[in-house]
Amino acid sequence: MAEYSWPEKPTLLGSAVTRLDGPDKVTGRARYTYDINRPGMIYGRMVRSPFAHARVVSIDLSPAEKAPGVRAVIAWKEPGAQVMYQGDPVAAVAADTEERARDAARLIRVRYEPLPHLASVEQALAADAPAVFPGGNTQTGATDETGDLEAGFAKAAHIVEATYSTHVITHVCLETHGCVCEWDGDKLTAWVSTQGVYPCRIGFADGLKIPQANVRVITQYMGGGFGSKFAPDVQGLICAKLAQQAKAPVKLMLDRKEEHLDTGNRPSAAAHIRAGVTSDGMLTAFDGQSWGTGGAGALSGFPLPYIYNFPIRKRTHKNVFINAGPQRAMRAPGHPQGCFLTEILMDELADRVKMDPVAFRIRNLPPAAPNAMWAEYFTRGAKAFGWDKRHATGDPAPGPIKTGMGVSAHRWGGAGRGSQAHVDIMSDGSVVVKCGTQDIGTGTRTIVAMVAAETLGLPMSAVKPEIGDTMYPFSGGSGGSTTAASVTPAIRVTTVNALDQLFAKVAPTLGAKPEDLVAQGGRIHLKGNAAKGVAWKDACRLIGTEPISVDGKWEDGLSGAGTSGVQFAEASVDIETGIVKVTRILAIQDCGLIVDKLTAESQAYGGVIAAINFALFEDRIIDRVTGQMVNPNMEWYLLAGMSDVPTIDIMLNNMPERGVIGIGEPPTVSTASAIANAVRNATGATIRSLPLHPHKVLAAIEQQRAGGTN
Amino acid sequence: MKSAGVTSLATAVTAAGAAETEAQTGPRVVGPGDVPVTLMVNGKRVELRIEPRVTLLDAIRNRADLTGNKRVCDRGTCGACTVMVDGRTVYACSTLAIEVQGKQIRTVEGLSTGNALHPVQQAFCDVDALMCGFCTPGFVVATVAVLEKHPNATREQISRGLDGNVCRCGTFVRIMEAAMKAKGVARG
Repeated sequence: MAEYSWPEKPTLLGSAVTRLDGPDKVTGRARYTYDINRPGMIYGRMVRSPFAHARVVSIDLSPAEKAPGVRAVIAWKEPGAQVMYQGDPVAAVAADTEERARDAARLIRVRYEPLPHLASVEQALAADAPAVFPGGNTQTGATDETGDLEAGFAKAAHIVEATYSTHVITHVCLETHGCVCEWDGDKLTAWVSTQGVYPCRIGFADGLKIPQANVRVITQYMGGGFGSKFAPDVQGLICAKLAQQAKAPVKLMLDRKEEHLDTGNRPSAAAHIRAGVTSDGMLTAFDGQSWGTGGAGALSGFPLPYIYNFPIRKRTHKNVFINAGPQRAMRAPGHPQGCFLTEILMDELADRVKMDPVAFRIRNLPPAAPNAMWAEYFTRGAKAFGWDKRHATGDPAPGPIKTGMGVSAHRWGGAGRGSQAHVDIMSDGSVVVKCGTQDIGTGTRTIVAMVAAETLGLPMSAVKPEIGDTMYPFSGGSGGSTTAASVTPAIRVTTVNALDQLFAKVAPTLGAKPEDLVAQGGRIHLKGNAAKGVAWKDACRLIGTEPISVDGKWEDGLSGAGTSGVQFAEASVDIETGIVKVTRILAIQDCGLIVDKLTAESQAYGGVIAAINFALFEDRIIDRVTGQMVNPNMEWYLLAGMSDVPTIDIMLNNMPERGVIGIGEPPTVSTASAIANAVRNATGATIRSLPLHPHKVLAAIEQQRAGGTN
Repeated sequence: MKSAGVTSLATAVTAAGAAETEAQTGPRVVGPGDVPVTLMVNGKRVELRIEPRVTLLDAIRNRADLTGNKRVCDRGTCGACTVMVDGRTVYACSTLAIEVQGKQIRTVEGLSTGNALHPVQQAFCDVDALMCGFCTPGFVVATVAVLEKHPNATREQISRGLDGNVCRCGTFVRIMEAAMKAKGVARG
């Protein structure tokens, strides 16, 4: 039985390794789906509903069919069908240039009968709301109840009752969704901007009613997904159909407006919460009625209360449907929302009992565990951040610029399983490692090579990693922070088994047993006797013409699950303009065995910056009259630039004994809550709703001056 | 935060060398069909036949297969299409190809020589100033431009120079680190 456990004294694992495809990305050589140019390729363009809700009366494709350069035209919706949101796909065209495809798309004549729509949660919940969705405009889930609520509130010395909310944001993948489809007879090759080549293969096969065996999906590079890119989607199926009709490869990449409207979003979340605390700062009871919208027919669940231990609690959630693009998983789905709603409440409760927010949180944590290290992180972080310099809420400094500090905690799963891999060791010493995973930007290609090189005792350059293709062994979609924990064990198991075969060939020439050999520093030698051995290349000469070729898969024991983290924020607020500027963030994150320190840190930086966007800038605005998105672009849909990025300190807690755990998502969960609490500490005004746009900050300050929100 | 204005593309288009004709009969109208357009990209002549409405970005990406610079916002906001024209950064998505004939165009592909990376590209790799990499070509060009303009740039100058670019993965901290490293200043 081979021993797969991670090396106790690794040479590569845990060190800072620059990503292998960095040079390809910085030179523009890396070919993303958007960059695939096939011989004879033409361009697809979709026609989408301009209405938030309408019935399609008729679709006339003929003017487009006659337009210059047009090679294929299809109707996606049938007459009589309904469109449920602005951007709902209706028809499509392919032409020899992008410009002509756009011209032709405008010629497709679609007649609509507009129907009543719901542009907001308020409209959907109104007593006289039109019945838009079959089964109702809302759907209420089961009530989750533990203990006697009124007994819990009876024990409370203070009760906070308020409504908290977060907004809808969109993924804004810089590479829009889309693909290039090319048929060879009945076989489809699809270059897709996806975070799941295997899930996409299933999606194409199901959607086109062809065997999975006839579909190959390739994603060498992809420009961001954040949870929104697991399937071919409608545009993928349309692209394949256009390619079939035109008998030519078709590239169909969405434009920025389509990307905002129809490729997913983070649902809104709101809750009316009543929570009690004893005079010595113990939480007693939590009663929350929550709701949120995931758009047209999509759900909006999130965890609530988050992390802290309310011994008695009740929670009911209502999904509210509106006529807007359906939600998709977005970087730690549900958690940023549940975290915000709970963490603002926690600061309000701490104030009632006049406790420091850190001490108050520590008092109400669930028991410590390897995946629940909050108490330690709160303490360590407070010291590193200078929490002792935090003034009482309401910055006493003169002048309009007020500063403050806030804190927040989060958790995530990050377990992975199920990946398969293939390793070839050739007689010239070269090594190929194949795995049908994909690199969403976290550095998967690099950690595949790292694990193989570590196992084989070779430098990174001696290993060729091959990923992003359904021609390679199965791996799942890159979601839920599962990729590293799913892929690295598969690579480890497979390369250990391949190395064992090489040891069996080398052992007789060294007069040793295979189990006495190790691979280190580019040599295979006896354990404890580096002099008695051979160079890797010489060892591989024994392989002969038939390479060592091994398949393997994920096994238990090399990866773990569950992470915890704490973040501290410092922000300044101009109380005359309402503008919030984040000045410092400290993010503490546990992450099991760190594979590549450099790319792990990058994920933490990225998560924090994504959450600064969530807190301060992004907002999907839907016109309440027309039901149309007001800012489906990148000039009015705001994102941070270089000048908006604060000093960020990352403290990763390496816990090798827990195995590999993914951290792509957790660092983005708690930043926004910590910022909002910092704004509260700065101004003395509680802002219970994201984003922290200037008008809301000013309104909260006004309200606080007018008699207080606390 | 980004709030760049949108350049109107609806300007009358004049073919290069049409100044004489213009003096007599007003601007010569070209198009709307394909017209010959010659670009100097990374020191090489690129001869194209394209409609006058084709942007510089689409011309180099779709017609010359120079796909390094990306289309992201497509209206002069995000900087993924940043190229240099006669030494100045422009948003190639909001520049017509026909307008930059006779000018020196530098794309991300024109920065490295053979396998040797430009110092800015090397610094991006060294400090991991990229993740998915889709914004990276634009950031690299913008960083090269700011350091060519201010060889001893301060953090503030770099920040200003890069504020026209957006990264969604959140690599800003390390982009700043890369820019500071590339200009030869010790890392902070």
